[in-house]
Amino acid sequence: MTDTVLVVEDEAPMRRFLCSALTSHGFRVAEAGTLARAHELATETRPNAILLDLGLPDGDGLTLLKSVREWSTAPIIVLSARDREDDKVIALDAGADDYLTKPFGTSELLARIRVALRHARGLRVADDPLLVVGPIRIDQARYAVTVDDRAVHLTPIEYKLLVQLARHAGKVLTHRQLLHEVWGPRSTEQTHYLRVHMAALRRKIEVDAARPRWLTTEAGVGYRLLDE
Amino acid sequence: MRGKVRAYAIAVGTVAAATLAGIAADAHVSQADEAMLYLLAILFAALGGRAAGLVAAALSVASFDFFFVAPRYTFAVSDLRSLITFAVMFVIGAAIGSLVARLRDAEEASRDRERRTSALLAFTRDAAAAVDVEGVCAAVVTHVHDVVGASSTVQLADDITPLHNAPVRIRIADERALTPGQHQFVEAVAQQAGVAAGRLQLAIAARDAALRAKAEELRSTLLSAVSHDLRTPLAVITGMATSLRDSAENAERRDALDTIVGEADRLSRILTNLLAITKVESGAAPRREWVPVEELVGAALRRLDEPLAGHPVVVDMPETVLAHIDPILVEQLLTNLIENAAKHTPAGTAIEVRGSRDANGAILEVADRGPGLPPGPPRQVFDKFFRGAHAAAGGVGLGLAVCRGIAVAHHGTIDALPREGGGAVFRVVFPDDGAPPKLDDMELRAG
Repeated sequence: MTDTVLVVEDEAPMRRFLCSALTSHGFRVAEAGTLARAHELATETRPNAILLDLGLPDGDGLTLLKSVREWSTAPIIVLSARDREDDKVIALDAGADDYLTKPFGTSELLARIRVALRHARGLRVADDPLLVVGPIRIDQARYAVTVDDRAVHLTPIEYKLLVQLARHAGKVLTHRQLLHEVWGPRSTEQTHYLRVHMAALRRKIEVDAARPRWLTTEAGVGYRLLDE
Repeated sequence: MRGKVRAYAIAVGTVAAATLAGIAADAHVSQADEAMLYLLAILFAALGGRAAGLVAAALSVASFDFFFVAPRYTFAVSDLRSLITFAVMFVIGAAIGSLVARLRDAEEASRDRERRTSALLAFTRDAAAAVDVEGVCAAVVTHVHDVVGASSTVQLADDITPLHNAPVRIRIADERALTPGQHQFVEAVAQQAGVAAGRLQLAIAARDAALRAKAEELRSTLLSAVSHDLRTPLAVITGMATSLRDSAENAERRDALDTIVGEADRLSRILTNLLAITKVESGAAPRREWVPVEELVGAALRRLDEPLAGHPVVVDMPETVLAHIDPILVEQLLTNLIENAAKHTPAGTAIEVRGSRDANGAILEVADRGPGLPPGPPRQVFDKFFRGAHAAAGGVGLGLAVCRGIAVAHHGTIDALPREGGGAVFRVVFPDDGAPPKLDDMELRAG
């Protein structure tokens, strides 16, 4: 069955690019240039994924995001410009699954959508005791982590961080989401702790911590464990 | 003067009246009663002041002695007791006279004070209504003249701020002729004038700041709008070109499309720098947090994948370096420094990124093995639109200006230095703002 992607973007040329890239890679596409039309199409077509530009002529894309989240878990990928990091974080914390920073190419677009769809299908279930991302293997039953078959010793926090990122491999996790998962709901502002522990984790996992291959930083937003 | 003559006339008149009354009643009253009449006369006359009191006392003593003390109608005194009466008359005259005089002085002084106070009040009102510092000065001259009766000049300090301890001084030609009260008044006026001038200065400064802020806001809105309008077509160009590249049939075409994508990327980075420079120049405070620098180096290197092709990058950061910085701005700074190094050095030469800490803050360095700094003062490279001698490298000369803006916004410094053994080093120092956080407790809490 082909997946339907709802493209919500007010700039017609941009919409044309997104639609042609998606259709040529086997997706079915529904397109909307306004918030009102997007609301209609979201309920009509029940898309498997939504590409959402936040700045729309008739309102804020966040309202669509929130209303769709009330009845659907379909992945929503936000399209945004660089230097709008705050908007991205707000959208991600409000239930968006990922974001794409304009300008982006087809490969980036397709990779994001595939990751989002895979997560939506639950191919990585939380109760699978073995998590594998690239060379990283996490045996949750034994709290054991290996990278390229080399055993890595992590502190409890580093371990929790890595597990969270691996469960959502390919997806960005915001600082707030990670802090909430690892430290609990009261620590969501202590970003510097997260950063320092991520730095330590990176030094244990990566060959060159300053040029990470897997644990990448999304400046001003959060972290992502790449999965290809 | 006139008042004095009148007081003396009253003194003479009352004593004469007392004498006539005494003579008229002489047959029925005693000598003591006549003395009482004179005391009454002295009391009455002394209301005219100390001198009048004394004159009345002297006249009374003389008249009493002449008309009523035996032997009568001579100034001779047979009974020594009369001398006591004379003395009492004098003392009473002097005492009442000086009491009255003091009362009158006090009254006069309080009237003066009241006049000065109301003059000060009037001045304050005028000064508050003044629309410029000249208006305040004019009010000073008018009101000082009203109270002191002399013309004055006003001296203003160079910087009139409410914090300046004496921004306004008042000069009067004959300053020594002033009474202490007047002197105080002039001081008070000077102080009030200082406050008023300071307030005006502040108001003017606030108005200027509001105007500047408005202009700044306009500029930044304009730039955001322009950059949005440029970004959208750029995003379409990048997207479409990558679509075409993926389906390109031959290498030549793929190369051409690669170039389009690369150039669109470059344009996009220039736009980002344009926006960054408006952001740092608007004076908005950076959002500082404690960040391990290597995280930003990694993000910058990932962003520069293509421009860095052909330049090996060495990152020298043996341990985690914490800096108190705005992560987004400093990632931009690193991106610009590294891109600048790549642009101005021959392909194949290494770029080194170093991070370290000293007691005061974090130090970041980007070092290259290129031709070194252009001739001239080293700081010129950070000027907006400055372009090195190798202009062929392209660029509009914004990157390093953005770097300086970001460093300055963090109260830090940025320097371009020649590198030992050839090349250049760009060094940025970010001073700490508070002590770096300790992490032990956090580890325990998460358990």
